[in-house]
Amino acid sequence: MPDNAEFESLVERFYAPLYQFAFSLTRAEADACDLTQQTFAIWAAKGHQLRDASKVKTWLFTTLHREFLDSRRRQTRFPHVELETTEAELPTVAPLSISGLDTSHVLNALARVDGVFQAPVALFYLQDHSYNEIAEMLGVPLGTVKSRLARGIAQLQQLLARDIAAGQLRTDL
Amino acid sequence: MNATEAKTILLLYRPGTADAEDPQFAEALALANSDSELARWLEAHLAQQQALRAKFKQIAPPAGLKEQIISEHAAARRARAAWRLLGGGVTALLLLLGMPAVLWHRPSPVENTLAIYQSQMARIALGPYGMDLMTNAVVPLRAYLARQHAPADLNLPPPLQQVALTGCAVRQWQGATVSLVCFRTGRPLPPGKTSDLWLFVVDGAAITNAPATGSRQIARVNRLMTATWTDGGQLYFLGIDGQEAEIRQYL
Repeated sequence: MPDNAEFESLVERFYAPLYQFAFSLTRAEADACDLTQQTFAIWAAKGHQLRDASKVKTWLFTTLHREFLDSRRRQTRFPHVELETTEAELPTVAPLSISGLDTSHVLNALARVDGVFQAPVALFYLQDHSYNEIAEMLGVPLGTVKSRLARGIAQLQQLLARDIAAGQLRTDL
Repeated sequence: MNATEAKTILLLYRPGTADAEDPQFAEALALANSDSELARWLEAHLAQQQALRAKFKQIAPPAGLKEQIISEHAAARRARAAWRLLGGGVTALLLLLGMPAVLWHRPSPVENTLAIYQSQMARIALGPYGMDLMTNAVVPLRAYLARQHAPADLNLPPPLQQVALTGCAVRQWQGATVSLVCFRTGRPLPPGKTSDLWLFVVDGAAITNAPATGSRQIARVNRLMTATWTDGGQLYFLGIDGQEAEIRQYL
């Protein structure tokens, strides 16, 4: 178990981005707090097994994502899809006015994006990670991450555009 | 690379990151510099992405989360150290003396700090707990708690006495019996909820670092805004899913 100073330093550096990721996935403060705390508790118990200290961030996000999946007891297996096979499906980006939306609107839309795309899209927008790191966290090849991101971002934009068109969201349009 | 391929690649481009060093992004960006239609598309796309990114970045951890994580870790370390001591010395001696049964009746490790108690009680309040007794009358509620050998002689602040009761429950925590008294403040309730204000009362001796009588601690614990104080040897822990001003109006 790490000493208190080392642990506090780690918490100081990563608790906010971990919480942001957790909240993006759960949209519930209590669940996001639980996931963040659980991640650090697992680090306290098992973090010493990590040999490469430069991988701490990836390890923490991977653990949080795994805990999230466990908590949801997801059973579905998602196929790996390479970017090349999705190019034809990539949509034209429709112009949107995002500035008038609340974060909750965006996260509600994210929750309606296919489950397999949600975590990569959240990590993409939180922008704390390279694509290689995201691939490592999610345990999928780089090409799969990029294809999931392309599709997930497109779905998110389509959902927001649809909501705005339906008048469900307040916008600055 | 044509403009369509460049759009596919630039869909994932994040300015200000290491993305620009990726040869694919660099090639697509170079094309955007020489293709005015692609450049206009990229400008609109990046503005939109930046706005979306800002929404994600607005997510802020609740106050007190960091402190709670750190305090729970410190408590767990102390507990481990205590157990190690027990394991290395006392336990071996007891085993040697042929008293293993004693171990089975020892209380659980010393995880009885205020931070851990608050954290676990907050989880109970926010979780799908069941009330043992549903009542809005104080007399049967106190009688039930007394029958369960739980704290029943409650000294509530006058504003809290005015809040409608919804019921109570009894829980065990580190060998101590905890009274949970549930209230309804009159605010709109989330679906499936019958209460929105919770009071936990336990013998103050059950907590190693209970606040001294007369002092009152206000802090966010998990999603709850809470107040903690000691009165008559009992520790009171009051929580509401709201802001500091809301908890203060019941003290």
